[in-house]
This record gives sequence, structure tokens and C-alpha cells, in this order.
Amino acid sequence: MRQLVLAVCSLLCALGVGATRADDVDAFTKEHAARIAVGTCGICHGPAGVSKQPKYPLLAGQNANYLAAQLKAFRSQTRGDADAIGYMWGMSATLEDGTIDALSQYYAGQAAGTGRAGDSALVARGREIYQKGIEDVGVPSCATCHGPDAHGLADFPRLAGQHAQYVLKQLGSFQNNMRNVAVMHGVAQGLKVDEMRAVAAYLEAQP
Amino acid sequence: MNSYRARARQLSRFVLLPLLAGLAAPAALAVPSFARQTGMACEACHTVWPELTHFGRVFKANGYVLDNLKQVRGVTAQKEEILSLSNLPPLSIMVQASFTQYATAQPDVTGRTQNGTVAFPQQVGLFYAGKIAPHVGAFLQLTYGYDSGSIGIDNTDIRFADLKVLPGEQTLTYGLSLNNNPTVQDIWNTTPAFGFPYATSKIGSGFGAASKIDGAFAQSVAGLTAYAFWNESLYGELGMYRSAKQGTAGPLSSTTTGGVLAGTAPYWRLAYEHNWGRNTIEGGLYGATFKEFPDFGAGFGQELTGPSDRYQDVAEDVQYQYVGDQHLFSVLGTRIHEKQTLNASINAPATATVPIPANLENDLTTVRAYGTYYYRRKIGATAGFFRTTGSSDAGLYAANSTPKPDTSGWIAEINYVPWLNTKFSVQYTAYSKYNGASDNYDGSGRKAGDNNTLYILAWLSY
Ligand code: HEC
Ligand code: HEC
Repeated sequence: MRQLVLAVCSLLCALGVGATRADDVDAFTKEHAARIAVGTCGICHGPAGVSKQPKYPLLAGQNANYLAAQLKAFRSQTRGDADAIGYMWGMSATLEDGTIDALSQYYAGQAAGTGRAGDSALVARGREIYQKGIEDVGVPSCATCHGPDAHGLADFPRLAGQHAQYVLKQLGSFQNNMRNVAVMHGVAQGLKVDEMRAVAAYLEAQP
Repeated sequence: MNSYRARARQLSRFVLLPLLAGLAAPAALAVPSFARQTGMACEACHTVWPELTHFGRVFKANGYVLDNLKQVRGVTAQKEEILSLSNLPPLSIMVQASFTQYATAQPDVTGRTQNGTVAFPQQVGLFYAGKIAPHVGAFLQLTYGYDSGSIGIDNTDIRFADLKVLPGEQTLTYGLSLNNNPTVQDIWNTTPAFGFPYATSKIGSGFGAASKIDGAFAQSVAGLTAYAFWNESLYGELGMYRSAKQGTAGPLSSTTTGGVLAGTAPYWRLAYEHNWGRNTIEGGLYGATFKEFPDFGAGFGQELTGPSDRYQDVAEDVQYQYVGDQHLFSVLGTRIHEKQTLNASINAPATATVPIPANLENDLTTVRAYGTYYYRRKIGATAGFFRTTGSSDAGLYAANSTPKPDTSGWIAEINYVPWLNTKFSVQYTAYSKYNGASDNYDGSGRKAGDNNTLYILAWLSY
């Protein structure tokens, strides 16, 4: 199973899941992006990407290539669950490639949040799923792609410390394909709601 | 009964009541131009308009400037930006059409009043709502009202705002608001200007006597206020209002209709909001002190100097919101307490066309609270109560059979929102007391319950 996942994973990497690169940016664009990040995006995501409201994902310390890919997906209206449509399609509509790269690097360079402890039984169940997956329903270990400490691997996103409410909603959206990503649809397919809740609580508790 | 009393009664029925009812009907804050400007659907800022979510409050405090539109830019040779103007102006239109039915038709002096009033349109509003320049934004409303048959300036709030990031990632949003209605600039829906009911019939009975901060000076004053919002939780504001009448050129004189403020009136606000998960809770205080030269009627040659009536308004408000994907729930309430010292009115000439108070000092208290539930922002209901009580004054309330201002009752509303910018409502207002009494409040046998009103409204914004 693990081998299979790794094979799929490296295949996807090769096929271009990580194809979007946040390229280096000049000082002017960098300053422009920092201003947008604080004054515009910051209203929801926090000035340094550490949002207080669980509806808005933490962006601080996130992988820059992943962020750039997401912003482009919002802009081209391909990442579409209800909140992506309601909030981020508009916000990303007029961002230029250079600004996207600079914003992504801005957030990647911020200190990540520190995580918030949750219900310990739920967190323990979540750790189990995260590290080992659920073999009999074909849910792979999340650690294979997102890293043993959930800090992200290659261009697979960081999940540690992320708001549980946001993670829970994303898993649901992968499952029903409103956020249409084949890999994560496959992963989330076999998860029940209380298992999603457990893994979300575990992730929120990780530093 | 003396002739003054009879006249005052007539006056109160045919002049004051519609006037109060008109004042009690706040205009709308829910404008698609914000959605066009930000590219975000209404649900970012509203549970269901016009009630604001936490983000809506932050958006307003930040001066309505957040945008994603292509800009027309001007830059100096030093790369300094001197113009950043949206390609398209943030305009919106609002249309309301309504039907009002009284439990018992309003009595008429000469004949039978027709019950069942259609207002088409009740209001048509044109809004400029959005960014003007970086850090400067406006909410500006022109409204045609079928009752006045004319277009007039409605709620206006022009802002400058900026945001500072403090050590430890705390934020400080601060700004100035230039506006024409005390509380129109407030960011919670508990305060009068944008409080529930969001729309009422222009010919309904309204809510009887009201404190001054509760709409008395809407669109007839101008105020400049300064505010700060720390970490999206602690809010403080201080400002001053001065008379700014429409339809008259300054300086204001004794021929000006309606009272004129003596000097400037201070306004203040303090509130704290806490957010956790999908929940928000707020508690706050607000108030203002108005000194007014009352209007005794035409031809009195009043001087706008000397004694004035003083109204000291202090209010508390609370709000709780739960904003889920399926279920949305909120409870909002306010209590306004007014202390009146009527140095000017009490010395009014006996022939003045306004009621002359018997007491120098009076008080008036209004409590309003309501709860709203929406399912998927589509179907919802609101229920609430209102109650105004105050001291007995045989002069001020001479038109009431019991010389008290007391009005209370219930209001219930069912809403259907097929699209986020179209709303259809059925509202029922039931009075247990009106102008001082439940039965025979006007001395000619009318019951408070006769004023119960069914109001059907179509409200479109685009
Ligand atoms: C009005 C609030 C709001 C504003 C302003 C906003 N966002 Fe978002 N953002 C959201 C919400 C809500 C989501 C979650 C969407 C979802 O659930 O699919 C999101 C998601 C994202 C994501 C995806 C994160 C992930 O982990 O996949 C990125 C990246 C992002 N926003 C960047 C930005 C940038 C850059 C800006 C400024 C240009 C911005 N946002 C402005 C509300 C906002
Ligand atoms: C085969 C590799 C792989 C495995 C295994 C995997 N993921 Fe993912 N995950 C991804 C990729 C790739 C993305 C980015 C999707 C995109 O580009 O939108 C992602 C995105 C996510 C996101 C969205 C992050 C965000 O910020 O929006 C969440 C949440 C998530 N994964 C949770 C999990 C959980 C929980 C598991 C284990 C049950 C898991 N993943 C297992 C590859 C994987």
C-alpha cells in the first residue's frame, strides 16, 4: 500500500502537481505584495497569514509553490467549493502572476502558527489516521505526502496548525469533488465525518 | 376638553404619527456595488442583508475600500501613486414595493380611510457605495420615497480609514467618518440607524415616542467622528454633530422647520466583540447629548439663543451571532435611556403648535430585542419585541388619553431570499400598548390592537 502511494505520489509530482513555481520577484513587486497582504488579504487571513477566524485558512509558513498554485486555481475558477467561490474567486481575479509569486513568498516566509490543543481522545484517534491511514477502506497514511510532522513534503501543503474547521471542510469538498483534485478525492473517499473531525483536530494541535 | 387639546390630538394623529413612522423606517445597508467591487458574494459581509457578519463590520471599519477591480492609475516620476480609481463606479439600485393592511382602518376626520395601502415603489434608492481612493470610501444614498414624492439625500457615511499592525500581530484599524445620522456609521446592527426592523411600512403606526438618538436627527445633522477598532474586538468612537438641514440655506434661523441643535452634540461609542469558531458576541454602550432649540411653529420669531431642551441619551447593546453553512442564528438587543430637561419647550408660547410639557424633566426608555434564524440563507424568520416607557406628562402627551408615551408590542417576520439580492417579507406588528394605553388610547375609542399591521414587502437590490 505504502509503496503504491509513494509511486502515485512521485508520478503526480512528475506529472505536474508541483509544476507551479513561485518564481523570484523584484523588490518593487515584493513591496507591493506585502502591502496587499497586510491591507487586503490580511483582513481575513491576518497581516502575517495567521488568521484568527477558522473560516480563513492559515497561510503563514505554507509552501510557496502550493500557495501560488492555489491562487492561480482561484483566479482561473477551477478551485471551487462554496467559500472559494464566495471569497477567493473575487479576491484573486485581478492578481498578476508576479504578484501571486510575491504574495506566496511573503506567506511562506512568515512564522507558522503554533497549533492549539484539542480534545485529547479525538487528537489521538486523528494521529492514528494521519500516521497510518485506515487500511481496510483504502485511506492511505497522510504522512506519506504531507510529511510525518505535517509540515509538508516537496510541494504537498503544510497542514500542521491549520484550523480544524477549515481542514474538515476541505476534506468534505475533496470527497464531493467541489474542490476537484483527483489525489485528495482518492484519499478522502473512504473517510467518515467523525474520522475527518479527528484528523482535523489532530492537525490543528500540531506545532 | 379645551381647544388646544383637541388640536394637539388632531396634530398628533395626522402630523406626528406619520412623521414618527417615517423616521422609524431605516433605509437599507446592503448594496451589490460592494459585491461588484470586492468580487465577493454578499455572504462575506452579511448573514442575510442588511445584518453584518464580523467580516462585514471589519470591511466597514476599513472604509469600504477593499477591492479587486482594475484601477485607473496615476503615478508621479518618483513612483508615488496619485490616483487609484476603479474603472467602474460602485453604483447600485434598490427597489422596495409594499402592501400595508391595518387591523382596523385609521379613522379619518371627513370620511372613511381606505385600508390596504399599496406603495409602488415604496422606495427607490440609488447608492454610491465603495472605494473613492485608497483609504477613502463612501456609502451614499439618494432615495425617492412615494410618500414624499421626491428624491432626497438618505443615509450618508464618508470615511477615511487605515490599518496598523502592532507588535504581536495585533491590528489597529482607525479612521474618521463624516455622516448625517448618529449611529449610521456604527458597525453593529443593534444601534438605531441600521437596526431591526430593517424595513417598515411608511404608513404603519410606528413605535410611538422615541428618544433623539433613535432617528430624530436622521439626515438633518452632520457629524464628524473618529474611531479605532483594536484587534477586531475593542471599538471606541467619539464625535460631534451639528444641524445640517436639507432644503434650507444656512445660517439656520427661527424660520427653519424642525428643531435646531444648539452648538454641537457629542456622540460616543464603546463596544467589545469576541469571536470564536462560528460565533460572535458583542456588548457595548453608546450615547449622545443633544441640546435643541425646538420648533414652536411658524411665526413665533424664536431666537436661536438662550434656553434649549437637553436630551441625554445613554444606551446599551448586545449581539450574538452564529454563522454556520446551514443554520444562521442571531440575537440582537438594545436599551436606550433618555433624560430630558426641557428648558425651552416648557416656556413655549401657549399658542405653539407643539405639545408643551408640564414637567421640566422627563425620561423615556426604549427596549428592543429580536432573534433571527435563517436556513441556508434562503428562508428565515425574525421575532422580537419593542417597548417604550416614560414619565407621565400631561402637556407633552396631551393627545394621549393616558398622558404617557408607552408603546409596546411584538413584531414577527418571515423572509424568503431566493437570491442573495432579492428578499420577500411578510411582517406582522402587534401592539399591546400604543401612546400610553391598550384601550381608548386616543380618547375616541381606538384600541392599541387596532393598529396591528400586516406588511408585505418585496425588496430588490442590484
Ligand atoms: C474576505 C475574506 C478573504 C480575503 C480578503 C482573502 N481571502 Fe483568501 N481565503 C478566504 C477563504 C474563506 C478561504 C478558504 C476557501 C475555501 O474554503 O476553499 C481562503 C483561501 C485562501 C487560500 C488557500 C489556502 C490553502 O491552504 O489552500 C489562499 C492561498 C488565499 N486565500 C490567499 C489570499 C490572498 C493572497 C488574498 C489577498 C489577495 C486573500 N486570500 C484574501 C478568505 C479571504
Ligand atoms: C498521495 C498524496 C497525498 C496523500 C496520501 C494525502 N494528501 Fe492531502 N493533499 C495532497 C495534495 C497534492 C494536496 C493539494 C491539493 C491541491 O493542489 O489543491 C493535498 C491537500 C490537502 C488538504 C488541503 C490543504 C489546504 O491548505 O487547503 C488537506 C486538508 C489534506 N490534503 C489532508 C489530507 C489528509 C487528512 C490526508 C490523510 C487522510 C491526506 N491529505 C493524504 C496529497 C496527499
